Amino acid sequence: MKKSIGDNMIPKDWGLAQGLELVKRAGYDGIELWLGDMPWFQMNTSDADVRALGRAVHSAGLVVSNVSTGLHWGSPLSARDPSVRARAARIVERQIETASLLGADAVLVVAGLVTEEIPYNEVYQRSVEALKPLGDTARQAGVRIGCENCNAEQRFLMSPREFWQFLNDVNHPAVGIHLDVGNIHDNGFAEQWIEIHGPRITRIHVKDVLRHRGRCGDQSVYTNLLLGDNNWPAIRAALTKVGYDGWLVAEMEARYRYAPDQQFFDTAQAMDRLISGRL
Amino acid sequence: MTVRLTRRQFLECSAAVAVPLGRRLGRASPEVTGTEQLVLDLDPHCSLRESLAGYAAALERRALRTDVSSLARCAVLIVPAAAEIPTQVVGAIAACLDRGGLVILESGAGFASERDFSRHRAVLRDAFQVHIDSPIDLWPEAKGSAIPYVNFTWPVAATVRDFSRVAPLASGAGEIIAQVHGLVVGIKRRFGRGNLIVLGSPLGPALWAGDIEARQWLRAVIR
Repeated sequence: MKKSIGDNMIPKDWGLAQGLELVKRAGYDGIELWLGDMPWFQMNTSDADVRALGRAVHSAGLVVSNVSTGLHWGSPLSARDPSVRARAARIVERQIETASLLGADAVLVVAGLVTEEIPYNEVYQRSVEALKPLGDTARQAGVRIGCENCNAEQRFLMSPREFWQFLNDVNHPAVGIHLDVGNIHDNGFAEQWIEIHGPRITRIHVKDVLRHRGRCGDQSVYTNLLLGDNNWPAIRAALTKVGYDGWLVAEMEARYRYAPDQQFFDTAQAMDRLISGRL
Repeated sequence: MTVRLTRRQFLECSAAVAVPLGRRLGRASPEVTGTEQLVLDLDPHCSLRESLAGYAAALERRALRTDVSSLARCAVLIVPAAAEIPTQVVGAIAACLDRGGLVILESGAGFASERDFSRHRAVLRDAFQVHIDSPIDLWPEAKGSAIPYVNFTWPVAATVRDFSRVAPLASGAGEIIAQVHGLVVGIKRRFGRGNLIVLGSPLGPALWAGDIEARQWLRAVIR
């Protein structure tokens, strides 16, 4: 397995070159680029500038592990308004285009967003229908779409069986799951998701979570790897069982307040322990 | 089917509606003899494709039509998510009503451009004497409070989740059959020998998403 970390972890006042140098020095093999998050990678970044970005990554001794985005929280594929859905589809298309330009073969998509206003049945149906043509686009580009399990935040596809059925309904070989082992906290066990989805896993986000903390035990909060309640030995064993040998991508929600570069090193070391199975 | 409604075309069309077609031609117009229940695809004037898909799914795919000339003998005509309503479509609706048919004209105003909406409003007013107001988004005020449900009262009671933006209808335009938050969003009126139902809140997406009461309501209307 290979290690990657998101470019959105790079401190905001750092430049790209300084950030890439840090990622490399901390021991990562690649970097996850977040479309729309950082100034160097926006929807209006030209193809030429995307290629230049790719060259900068390679010059730093890294590769692009995948292209992600948080833009679908504001423009979901499941929106009722067709113009918003068109914008959401364009975001995925741009992810696919840029992944191709950058030499990556996976993109992360937040497939649907259930809200007070837009109910579950609509979101399900709309997401399935949106992903079919996008799957065709992805396949033509040699890219796979990984729908992320954002569980509680999305209020959608909360169980692994349900996610499995969703992917069955999309029924496209270029559409799978970008599994976040930290997002499952209150409603399951990451290792079971890994077993169930196996070959459909496109990438894995890693972070840890402290379950049911606080005075009332009603809050689950993200934390550093190996510090929370994820059962890492079980997760590692499940990865072995399903033969997952792809990218592990660090997505640390909790950030260091001081010495932010230190988090890159600590996370890389924890990922090394996970990969080697020294747990 | 890109049709612009010129003033002249519009006047011709209004005249066609005001004077039943058969009488204009000096003969009685034929009554509805067929039982066909059809859904008209207004592409590109349908502002919500999934509304079209909802009605088509409810009536079975073979009910879908894209050509106005194929509507000649239908007993039920559904026009989902209409934004701009082209002249030929106005004529087809009027002809169906004149034959004694039932037309469900679903407004897609909530998802239409401002230009399309102003044309939509003009056609409803001048051809069908139905006054429609600018769309309203009910959800910002609904957050954290009651869900805006559309309450249908005819021909059966049904409660269907509102589809975000409603285009209120003037209460004097016909018998009120649906309301949400005190706004009229469904009316029924006699027109020629037929019945015209105008919906200001799209029902098609609820059909498409499998809403049971939406399907029951539609079945009761077109049975």
